[in-house]
Order: sequence, then structure tokens, then C-alpha cells
Amino acid sequence: MTDVSINHFTYEYPKSEVKVLNDVTITFKHNHFSLLTGPSGSGKSTLLYFIAGLYPHFIGNDALGSIKFGEVDVKQIPRNQISHSVAMMFQNPNQQFAMDTVIHELTFVLENMLVDPSKMDEIINHALAFCGIEKLRSRVINTLSGGEKQRVALACIVAMDPPVIVLDEPFASIDPDSRLDLIKKLKLLQQEHGKTIILADHDLNDYQGVIDEFYYLDPDSHQINLLAAPAAQHFFDQFKTTQTINKQVEIPAKGTPSVIDINDFKLQPHHSLLLALGKFKFYQGKTTLITGANGIGKSTLFNALTKLLPYEGTIEYSGKNIQKIRPLSYAKNVTLLFQDAENQFLNITVKEELDLSLKNRTNQAYTNDDVASMLKQLNIEGREDQVVYSLSEGQKKKLQIIEMLIMNPPVLLLDEPFKGLDYHSLEVVVGFLNRAKSQFHQTQIIISHQLSGLDPLIDYHAHFADQNLTYQEVIK
Amino acid sequence: MNPGLKLLLVMAIALEISFTQSLIVNVILIIASFGYILIHRISFKALLGLILWPFFPALGLFVSQWLYGTAGIHFAWILFTRIYAYVFLGATFTLTSSITDLALTLEQDFRLPSKFAYGVLAAFNLMPKINEEVKIIKTSALMRGEALHFWSPKLYFKAILSSIQWSQNLAEAMTSHGFVEDQKRTHYRVIRITGLDWSWFIGLFAIVQGLLFFIRY
Repeated sequence: MTDVSINHFTYEYPKSEVKVLNDVTITFKHNHFSLLTGPSGSGKSTLLYFIAGLYPHFIGNDALGSIKFGEVDVKQIPRNQISHSVAMMFQNPNQQFAMDTVIHELTFVLENMLVDPSKMDEIINHALAFCGIEKLRSRVINTLSGGEKQRVALACIVAMDPPVIVLDEPFASIDPDSRLDLIKKLKLLQQEHGKTIILADHDLNDYQGVIDEFYYLDPDSHQINLLAAPAAQHFFDQFKTTQTINKQVEIPAKGTPSVIDINDFKLQPHHSLLLALGKFKFYQGKTTLITGANGIGKSTLFNALTKLLPYEGTIEYSGKNIQKIRPLSYAKNVTLLFQDAENQFLNITVKEELDLSLKNRTNQAYTNDDVASMLKQLNIEGREDQVVYSLSEGQKKKLQIIEMLIMNPPVLLLDEPFKGLDYHSLEVVVGFLNRAKSQFHQTQIIISHQLSGLDPLIDYHAHFADQNLTYQEVIK
Repeated sequence: MNPGLKLLLVMAIALEISFTQSLIVNVILIIASFGYILIHRISFKALLGLILWPFFPALGLFVSQWLYGTAGIHFAWILFTRIYAYVFLGATFTLTSSITDLALTLEQDFRLPSKFAYGVLAAFNLMPKINEEVKIIKTSALMRGEALHFWSPKLYFKAILSSIQWSQNLAEAMTSHGFVEDQKRTHYRVIRITGLDWSWFIGLFAIVQGLLFFIRY
């Protein structure tokens, strides 16, 4: 029996008073599929890293309380034995492999576990077959798609064969088919191979009817509760409502002036086709919302629009092929609000960041008073001397949005701009974006999973599915 | 040949020709290395690169020695061929050996700590990602009105910041894949330094010594 029991577990980050986890006492039951949910940044990962034995080794300060597998405290397990008890799958598919090819990674894993080399072939064949990736055997990992990489990560875990498997938002950047397939594989590992599965995710799609237990990390009390069926149902329902808004939008009328024109366009990184568009336009001075499943290629489209990725066909900005516009000039006209706020930062302190935007902005649309007022409305005023990297994820996002609004580019691409923002801040940001559109005629293209609260902003809606992008009247 | 021994041999010969002055031996080394590379069927593009890239530095050395040096044109030719000898010797290793094999032999035969061997390998496999990251940093800076060049400290600051984050993630991933520093591991592919490897190593090294001793021109 390997119940994973957490006893009076309290953790706070080094040099911080705020508790991430506050006196958590729960038991993830043996041979159950447990889902741990809660808002981004609420501490789910932290708990999983402790369960997997990676923390405190990789973080520096220890937690209070204990974690036990059955009767054994995690800390009592020698470091070279821990992977016989628990394995972990990470959020970022790109940073979990040490070797070049799939087969090398799998042998690396088995060598570490001191498996007899004569038995390795059989184990590897089984693991690849279980995950349905025999074909990837000799492939170079860097050339695989996100979904393929996560399947390889699962194959490594199957080869390791530990009783407990923890997964930290493993599907955040993979396509819906891979996601569904991997969830089924995990269920199979639980039901037929007796594994205990603990999975953290804030996206609740596809879990209903699959998971056995539903845990919620409350961001206010920093405690984790096991929810009974009706309460869990409430969360599933509520999740669906954040993904929908009741709004009819128009299909762009013929003759509406466009700002970005895409022609004979093909996007195929990793040699698999993500998007093919004969003719597609984004319209001047409008806010277009792009929806579609995770990992389907929405961010990749933004990467093509910002010339970060090669593509086939042409993209025109204001009637001019973007490959012929000088890089600096294009970047200041068509600007991306990166999904990861840190990508946007170039300086150290909040003040330096804001000053940089004020110095290099394309026009003087925002006054100093405007900036001060925006900081105040988003509740991040008075932090001028703070190092940007030490801000919380939500604060980073707010600062990033303000500094990119100050830049005031004619076209602003926003990749999940509301991730990690509470509902009130979302409404404030929607207000800012509306002002930029109505007063400064900014064109906005938004990728967002969070839909509720966006009603006042959206003019058009383009849905991404089946390698195609089409304007639709209904947002769902 | 065992990649570890090959690397050792290449470095030893390169070091030697830095301190000796024999035009003919340089040329022999270039021809021998060129032949070795050809046998391994490398791409035409890589071959062309090998010939073209070093041409200007080699020519520069040649001209400055010939016109402004005191040792005459013979020494100028030695410098010119030395550059090519370095490049082709290096290529016999880089173009025909796998970095994975090198890591394996360094760990198994040269008793290098496994942490070092696999750490280097993991970093090497991250190289394409680093290129992508640099591109993202540059584009993101352009969007904030700053053009970062390869000499801009900000570019390095951001790149180092990312690297630190990646190395942390990678260390965590390796640990979760059962890797523990300085612990015993089994080996699926055992790489040994065979008698043949040693014979090649000693034989080739001896030949180069002989050539350097007898051919002084």
C-alpha cells in the first residue's frame, strides 16, 4: 500500500512571510487517480516537487511537517532509491530530457536505476508500445512536437515503473488529442498496473468521470481540501462557464479595412501542418479574439506574425510584406505581449522598466499621470525600486501589460494576457484595452482561454480548429 | 577509433605543430585528415565551409608574415598551412564522432565524474534551444524599442538568466529520471578502449613524431 500522506505540511518561500501551503493534512489514496486543482501560482507545483523528492534539495529551504509513502517518510528514502518510489512529469516538455534521442533517454533512465543491461531492451519496447510511440524510438527529441515529447516523458516513467506518479500541469502546452490520449494512458496505469496518480492542473477539461478524487488548493487559506462529488461538480461547471461568454459578435463585413493580410499561408514546425490559410485578414482598429484548444498552434501563429518562426506564403502589414519591413520598425508596429511576462523584461527594477517604455514609445499617448493611475488601479504602485523578477506572477503580468500599453503599438498581439490575474484586475485591464482601442485606434488580437469578463472588448471572434482559422458569430 | 582517444590524439598533434616548423608535415596532416573526412562521407556543404571559413584568417597571417615579418615566405606558408591543419584535424573529430559516444567513453574509460559527462551532454543538446531563446530575446527587445547586438550586455544578462533557469530545470529532470551524482550506474552500451584503438593511437602518434623529426623543411 502506498498512500501518499501529507501531515501538517507548511511551506513558505525563502525570505518571504507568505505561506504557500499552510498546515496541509491530506492523504492521496493508494491506486487512486487524484486531481489537484487551484488557481495558477497557488502552490500546487511546490507540493508535487516535495512529493517527488526534488524539494527541498532544489529549493534551499525546507518545509514543516512530513510526507509519507505508506509508512516511510520521503526524507528517509536514500536519494538513489527515490526514483524507485516516485516519478515526476513536468510542465515544460522541453526541459526534461538529458539525452539526444528517445532511445538514449530511455537507456539513460534505466542505467540510473541500475537495471541489468540485458533486460533493458524488453523494458524499453514495452514502455514505447504502452505509449504508442514505437515509431519515435530513434528520433531526436528536439525535433518532436510538445505532445510527442510528453508521450516520451510518460514512456520514461513507465520504464521506471514506480508505484507513485506525480504530474505537474503536464498538458499545458500540448494538443487536445495528445491530452486525451495521455489521460487515458494514466487511467490505464492506475487501473491495470496499480499506480497511484497525483496530477495538478487548473484546466479541468477531460477529467470528469476519469478521476477518483478531486482536491482543491484554496488560494486564500493555502490549504487543500478533498471535495465531495457535488462540490467537485460545482467546480467542473464553474470551469465551463469561465470558458464561455454569451455574446453574439459580427462576422467582419466585406470592405472592412484590414491591417494584417495573410495569403497562401502554411505553418508547419516539426514537419506537421498546424495551419493552412488561403486568405485571412485581421481588421483595423478592432479586437479579435482567437479561441481554440491548447497546443493547436495559436501561439505559433503569433510567432509567425512576429517573424520568430519561418512560414510559407505571405503576411502583409498595411499592404507591405512583413519580410521587407525593417525589424525594429516592424517590431514597434506589430508587438507581442508574451505569454511569459519575464520574456518582456529587459531591465532590473520596476522603475527602469517603465522608464524604458516611456523613452522608446511610438507616441506620447499616455501621460505620466495616466501611467501613475494605471499602476494604482492595478494595485502595483509604490514598487519602483523592486526587482521585476521578484514580483509575484500576477504583478509581473500587470507591469508587463502597462509597459506594453505605454509603447502603444498600432497592432498589439496578446497571448493569454489574463493568465494569473484575478477577476477585478481582468476588468481593469479590459478597460485599459478598450481605451487604447477607442482613443488610440489600436488593433488588438487576443488569445485567451479565460472568456468571462471579455464581453465589452471583443469585436470579432476567430476559431482555430482543423488547421484552419474562421470567423464565427458565437463564442463558446 | 574510440572518440576519447581520437580527441586526445588530435589535441596532442595540434599542440605539437604549434611548436614545430615543418611545412611538409603540415601539408601531410592536411591531406591525411582530408582523406579521413572524405572516407566518412560528410556533406559537401560542410566540406566547403571547412575550406572557405579559415581562408581569410589564414591568408591574413600569410600576408602579414610575408610582407612585414622577418622570417620570410617559408614561415608565412607554415602559418598558412598550420591554420588549415588545425581546422582539418579538428574536423576529423567533430565531423565523424558523436558527442554522445564521447560522453560515454569519458564516463566509462576516462573515469570522468558522470555528473560532468552527462551535464555537458545535456547542455549540448540544449544548444538549438539557446539559439531560439536568443532570437526571442532580440525580438522582444525590438518590441520595446531596443536593438540588441551580439555585444549588448543586456542580451547576455537575459540569456544567462534563462540558462540558469534551464540548468535548474534540467537538473531536476535528470534527478527525477533517477540520476544521482557519483552513484553507480549500469551501462547498456559499454564502450571500451580496445587494443586496436591503442595501436592506432600509438601508431599514428609515432608516425607524426617520425615525420616531424625527419622532415624539417
